[in-house]
Amino acid sequence: MSAALRRPGGRRAVIAGVATSDYPLLPDMSEHAVHGQAADRALADAGLTLTDVDGFATAGFFPMYATGVAEYLGLHPAYFDETNAGGASFEVLVEHAALAVEAGAADVVLVTYGSVQLSQMGRRLGTGGGGGGFAPGPAIYDALWGNTLVGSYALAARRHMHQYGTTAEQLAAIAVSTRRHAASNPQAQERDPITVEDVVSSRLVADPLHKLDCCVISDGGAACVVTTAERAADLPRGAVYVLGAAHATTHHMNLSAMPDITVTPAAQSGPLAFERAGVTPADVDVAELYDSFTITVLLTLEDLGFCAKGEGGAFVEDGGIGVGGRLPTNTDGGGLSACHPGMRGMFLIVEAVRQLRGEGGATQVPKAHVAVAHGTGGMLSTGATLVLGTEAP
Amino acid sequence: MTARWFPDEMPTPAASAETAGWWEAASRHRLVVQRCDQCGRTRHPPGPVCPSCRAVTSDWLELPGTGTVYTYTVVHQAFVPALADRLPYVVIAVELDGATGARLVSNLVDAAPEDVEVGLPVEVVWEDMGPELALPRFRPAGVAPSAPAGARSEGTR
Repeated sequence: MSAALRRPGGRRAVIAGVATSDYPLLPDMSEHAVHGQAADRALADAGLTLTDVDGFATAGFFPMYATGVAEYLGLHPAYFDETNAGGASFEVLVEHAALAVEAGAADVVLVTYGSVQLSQMGRRLGTGGGGGGFAPGPAIYDALWGNTLVGSYALAARRHMHQYGTTAEQLAAIAVSTRRHAASNPQAQERDPITVEDVVSSRLVADPLHKLDCCVISDGGAACVVTTAERAADLPRGAVYVLGAAHATTHHMNLSAMPDITVTPAAQSGPLAFERAGVTPADVDVAELYDSFTITVLLTLEDLGFCAKGEGGAFVEDGGIGVGGRLPTNTDGGGLSACHPGMRGMFLIVEAVRQLRGEGGATQVPKAHVAVAHGTGGMLSTGATLVLGTEAP
Repeated sequence: MTARWFPDEMPTPAASAETAGWWEAASRHRLVVQRCDQCGRTRHPPGPVCPSCRAVTSDWLELPGTGTVYTYTVVHQAFVPALADRLPYVVIAVELDGATGARLVSNLVDAAPEDVEVGLPVEVVWEDMGPELALPRFRPAGVAPSAPAGARSEGTR
């Protein structure tokens, strides 16, 4: 079963092109136009055009979403996918695309993301999303008591603090490190340096999470092109291999249904993805981890095995997740500072690929050969891990 | 008289075949939890399949209504307009006595937000939201009720 993405001698999936759209504020663009801009740029990056595309994947918030974007782009794909795992969607979609090209179901799969969430809702930054809407069915079980999206992550953070002694200052260190990286990203929504004190003295949204523990809310999109190594050999960019991938879910929208509130689905998807890739966490040079909130990063670092459970606080302190630290993480400034349009997973993949190509600019990690992109969706409900590398396995 | 903490504008749940028994018990101020009748595991929210053994039959286990705070958050920003004047309020996940492993997300009432802590013993208190809808909230065990700021008392059952 571990051979799902390893077929010696067979077709090998690679990412041949990546791009982000303009961001973080796009008041004059439609959601579809953001997809289109990201698609054009990713295809140009790959040295391909829309006429080369025979597979398409995206995720959005209503049924037949991929069909609508495919029509907008003028595509009649033989393979399409709109699996929605919230913030983990795009890691899942790229895993599926890799399986599809390796199985021969498609040769060139375009994966796009687009959102104008900020322009639609107005400038309500730092709140972690969430209008007044209530999900139907069992999802009401937590919401009836006034629990919020950020509240669910706060419940996990508080329990982690209780069990392991994690502090607000350690969570704040994640926001500080990410902002430092954002300072080098000219597109980043927030670039001014912040300190741990700034984070813990910003207003509480849902104790123990402060405003600066929460992601920004942005417009923006991104895209990538998945094809075979053989096809990519004729293309201008150095191909990045999809070494291994896996995803998992533990519950839907109620934290009350989560088996262990401090353990995310990354604890399941991570080990399987590493096994399929034939690498270990120690081999990873750079990590792009979903950062809806600071606690999301801390839990993911532990669950992927970069440190032991409960040791995430110490791991992120003292520049541990900065460039030059133990594990450079969210080198583009992340969702905490650079851009978070709602389902940020595609941005993680784009930055991981750029790092592996040596295009990371001021936050380039030297000699980056293996990168992880890990998305988290819902209320810590879904997780999807992609292990990417510069060399064929 | 029955204490009110949340306003009438809060959304109300629509019971399904799987959850109707839970809501019906709640309307009679009985705190129950779904129990797999094959392996005995309790679970919440109610659902058709046991997440441990996948059995599809279950019964309702009535609980004493006491427990401890497993984790909590003090909510300072309301995303539901109806709760804007209730801030800050306390959301807790309660580890329920008699139902190992099944946690309930609810509120801590009759206590100042700064008094909540993990491990705090709590007991259920019922809020009648309508003729057939009551929600379990919790207060510190053994503490005499005193409606918090913003709460109202109205009506009789």
